Amino acid sequence: MQESLAVRRAETSTALTRVHEVLDAFAARDHNGETLTAIRHFPAREAQWADFPSWVNADLVSAYTAKGIRRLYTHQAEAAEAVHAGKNVVIVTPTASGKTLCYNLPVLNATLENSDSRALYLFPTKALAQDQLAELHNLNQRLENRFGVFTYDGDTPADARRSIREKGHIVLTNPDMLHTGILPHHTRWTRLFENLRYVVLDELHTYRGVFGSHLCNVLRRLRRIARFYGRDPQFICCSATIANPGELASRLLETEVEILNSNGAPAAEKTFVFYNPPVVNRALGIRRSYINESSRVAQEFLKHDLQTIVFSNSRLLTEILLTYLQQANPQLPGKQETIRGYRGGYLPNERREIERGLRDGQIRGVVSTSALELGIDVGSLDTVVMAGYPGTIAATWQRAGRAGRRSGSSCAVLVASSSPLDQFIVRHPDYFFGNTPEHAFIQPDNLEILINHLKCAAFELPISPSDKFGDVDLLDLCARLAEAGFLHLAGENYHWTQEAYPADTISLRSVSSDNFVIVDVTGVPTVIGEVDFPSALIFLHERAIYIHGGQQHHVEHLDFKERKAYVKRVDVDYYTDAVRYTQVRVLEIAATEQCSGKETPVHFHSHGDVLVRSQVVGFKKIKFFTHENIGDGKLELPENEMHTTAYWITLERPLLESLPFTVSERQSGMFGLLHALESVATLLLMCDRRDLGAAIGERPPAADSECASDVGAAQRTAPLQGTTENFDPSRLKDATSTTVREFFEPNLYLYDAYPGGIGFSEPLFRTHGLLVQRTRELIAACPCEQGCPSCVGPAGDLAPRAKEAALAILDRLCG
Amino acid sequence: MPARPPAIRTPGEEDALGRLLGAGVATNHFGEHLAIRNWFSTPEFAEPSFTTLELLSHTRNESVSRKARAALQDPGKWLFLDTETTGLAGGTGTYAFLIGLAWWDAGGLQVEQFFMRDFAEEHSLLQELSQRVAERPVLVTFNGKSFDWPLLENRFTMTRSIAVPKLAAHLDLLHPARALWKLRLGSVRLVELERHVLDAPRLGWHRENDVSSALIPQFYFDYLRGGPAEPLAAVVRHNQMDLRGLAALFGKINALLSEQAETAMEIESLDLFGLSRFLQRRGENDRAHSACAQALEIGLPAEFRPRACRELAQMAKWRGEHARAAEIWVEIVADGHNGIHACEQLAIYYERHCKDFYRATEFAQLALAKLRRQRGVSHDPHLTARCARLEQKFLHRLARLQHQMKTLGGLASPLALSRSGGES
Repeated sequence: MQESLAVRRAETSTALTRVHEVLDAFAARDHNGETLTAIRHFPAREAQWADFPSWVNADLVSAYTAKGIRRLYTHQAEAAEAVHAGKNVVIVTPTASGKTLCYNLPVLNATLENSDSRALYLFPTKALAQDQLAELHNLNQRLENRFGVFTYDGDTPADARRSIREKGHIVLTNPDMLHTGILPHHTRWTRLFENLRYVVLDELHTYRGVFGSHLCNVLRRLRRIARFYGRDPQFICCSATIANPGELASRLLETEVEILNSNGAPAAEKTFVFYNPPVVNRALGIRRSYINESSRVAQEFLKHDLQTIVFSNSRLLTEILLTYLQQANPQLPGKQETIRGYRGGYLPNERREIERGLRDGQIRGVVSTSALELGIDVGSLDTVVMAGYPGTIAATWQRAGRAGRRSGSSCAVLVASSSPLDQFIVRHPDYFFGNTPEHAFIQPDNLEILINHLKCAAFELPISPSDKFGDVDLLDLCARLAEAGFLHLAGENYHWTQEAYPADTISLRSVSSDNFVIVDVTGVPTVIGEVDFPSALIFLHERAIYIHGGQQHHVEHLDFKERKAYVKRVDVDYYTDAVRYTQVRVLEIAATEQCSGKETPVHFHSHGDVLVRSQVVGFKKIKFFTHENIGDGKLELPENEMHTTAYWITLERPLLESLPFTVSERQSGMFGLLHALESVATLLLMCDRRDLGAAIGERPPAADSECASDVGAAQRTAPLQGTTENFDPSRLKDATSTTVREFFEPNLYLYDAYPGGIGFSEPLFRTHGLLVQRTRELIAACPCEQGCPSCVGPAGDLAPRAKEAALAILDRLCG
Repeated sequence: MPARPPAIRTPGEEDALGRLLGAGVATNHFGEHLAIRNWFSTPEFAEPSFTTLELLSHTRNESVSRKARAALQDPGKWLFLDTETTGLAGGTGTYAFLIGLAWWDAGGLQVEQFFMRDFAEEHSLLQELSQRVAERPVLVTFNGKSFDWPLLENRFTMTRSIAVPKLAAHLDLLHPARALWKLRLGSVRLVELERHVLDAPRLGWHRENDVSSALIPQFYFDYLRGGPAEPLAAVVRHNQMDLRGLAALFGKINALLSEQAETAMEIESLDLFGLSRFLQRRGENDRAHSACAQALEIGLPAEFRPRACRELAQMAKWRGEHARAAEIWVEIVADGHNGIHACEQLAIYYERHCKDFYRATEFAQLALAKLRRQRGVSHDPHLTARCARLEQKFLHRLARLQHQMKTLGGLASPLALSRSGGES
């Protein structure tokens, strides 16, 4: 890993030529310079070295030396020193810069100096923990197995657990296991807690939004238990590059954290290309399908024998791309498949096999979801193709970092979809290359999350008056929980008074914790995978085509009670896409602001609590390659309901009446406006677009009056929440055709897609002016004539003057 | 002799709960809790036999210390324990609000129960328990190894001031009870055992008005929130009966396990079969064999007979009585559950011991036919997979038999011996 760059370049100079051959071919085809919107070269960077600090145990130095690491990169030495000095640190480095050494070195050193010292490593996924286990085993062997290192997760056999609790100097686990398996049983872990010196949090940037808000509370519980055993552990965090690693770390840990963001690791030369699929119909703003284009780009690399990873943004697209690439690279008789898929829902063994295949070069191409974005070791890949913008600048760099770990030159291509966000990014390359990556936000004091963790905390240890969760007044909440029968005050402390085990019912990652198992009943019934509850409604409804490993399956039956989906292998030329309806009702307005310009009519924007109902009501069959709609079906699936927070704009009657458009044009304009608004909001918030939902509904006469519920029923709204990442016009058409009546005074909602909300609504409310301004710029600057997927949505699916109408509304909003 | 328990104060006029439960207020340096003391003439003291102790606690095992052995052999060091808890979930949020203890005293049973009126009394409760365990370090429980004691260990750890008491030994009667009576009763809950094994009418207590265990946590929570205390009196009584039942159960197991019990007592055939299985697991093969034979002789219900035959044959095989084993296997060749096993064993027997490859082939083929039939009607993927594996095994055996018949003409040879040496 640390051999000099010059040597590497000599080895792989052919890869360099091949990458450039492909790029030249793309450039040659791009006649009017519209396709390759950016080509940026990043030169190789030499390593900066430092010696092992003098305090490092000599045996540890020789163990590393034996592995070929004779010197440290400067940032590794710096990190080790900071940890040694007793500071909580967050180390910010790009992919493949030797970050694991930053924490392994001080932790192992402490273990060798004092064999009682214990450390807990937290990884966001089990796979990452397995990966690190291998590395630590290797070091341990060189140190005559002087320390115990184990993974502890759901897969750990029951008979091994006792010895892990006693002998594990380093325990590798994940937040979920800490939450359900370790903290509620802390009395069995006394050895660990009484000696807990370090807690390592790797991939810190993944702990944002809901997951991060949960983790923050799990850490509050962890520190409380550690204090009970007389320990105050030191935290070592590693993060990919984001805008606010220090802020995120100190919000998660609720203490001072030192940021270390220099990087002494060498980097290979890299070319970053933005690829915008060619326009095929300028008037309608229709481009070639980015899925087909991504497949074409990847195929070009594969043909030049460059090992390639293709990232897509959804499971469905992963399977579609896999189907295309496997057709282009058929399996040779007697040989292994050279193109594989990789995503959540594949069984662990299959995943390990794919990882091995990638490392030893047997597998030439892999199509993955974000599952491979994190630090799983799959060795070096030559090229990365991203089918669609990953949603954040940080994730884009992470994915691009998958290429060029060892080779002398690598290439990353971002193929833009027609969504507004993608189009904005590829048309403004400076925004991407010149900007810091996103901020990561968490909202640990979300009441639902907080209350859940307070229950878990009370189960673990009675809540005493001195206990704190950040700045929250726990005793007040405890009193409420006591009233509800969960806790009981005895002396000064609140004790748990329920038979249930609270952690079991609380999932850190999603609303519901139960999974659906997929059973293939074509022959002998076999389990081929599992998906979580919300995904099951979308991918496994009856008559859906579920694609797994490139093989299509027809869903015969979805058994809700048993949480099983029965599928049969089929071979058809279409896939299915679920249609979802969303309906929003205002429960309580937190704040509202009235705007009226000099000549513009009144309008409001507000934020507050809402009730969101959504339901999968049908599906469409979409033909492969042409992507045309070839049929649809109705479904009756249970409705999902959640309380959350939202920001919304209310368009008052005078404003609407001032618009010189027909009713249907106005409606189309509003849908188009919301479409653009959502895109700009994700950009401004720098959040994942799945964290935000959008819907239109009529404003009730008075939000807090009693007829609110009646009005709620009348709010037949547009199903703007698609399952695929891009905006789908035909859905809008369905919706508008069933909704012939005019919205009297509509609300345009942008809501947090998580029960209780995760803190986006208030910032959106505050930045209302900027949001409207930017949305107007996006639509006004779009070169299409009457709307296209990149601004207000495709022209064909909206009333002819939708784009104009949207602009007119925006003009009035901007005042 | 252990010291007598410290005095407890009689509850004051105002202490309605104490009076309701018939409790006194006990005090130690951690505070107060309620203590309830009663002596019962039943069950009567049962002197543990040497054999019983050996079978229940592996005293022959080298790892059992001399001190532990001495404690085990002194019934004065025994402490029966049963707790009532705030749930079955385990983990650190489950409390034992009532700890029931009992020991042999004056030919009968002395019962002492500690009750915490609120969570704040837990330390004083645990302190008292710790002292009792120090005096009587041999714990006797029903499912205490996986439930009560780990839970109490958690509670002690959570005090951070009272160490987990050291036990000399822990006899959990659930395991022997399951081995002995699961076959006959299906369920081995203590109440079931009282009714069907211990001769309930003569026990000296009645379960008619007993509370259901499932309701107990909620009774306690209700009481904590100012609800009625009356149900707690029933919980205390329930705990008393469980402790007495536990002691009585020990008496029954003791009688059954003591040497020569089979000949001296009238035992139901199914219990004899259960006893045989228990003894077999403990390595008492001779006694296990005779108990099993006796059970079959007295007559077992039809559904258990083939299983007993199978075990008897297995034991005969271990004793080297191959011909006798074969006789028994032949009896159960037609049985649905054990037929394939019997065929396999007979195939081995004829191949290895009689060198009758022709008969061995016959049985192997019969097994194969049975397997295929079974696989044909099964929808369970696991069973199907197992059948397929077994089929492979038999096919392999048949091929080998064929080979042996061809090359050796059915005659015994050193080669044939060494070839079949790999299996048993």
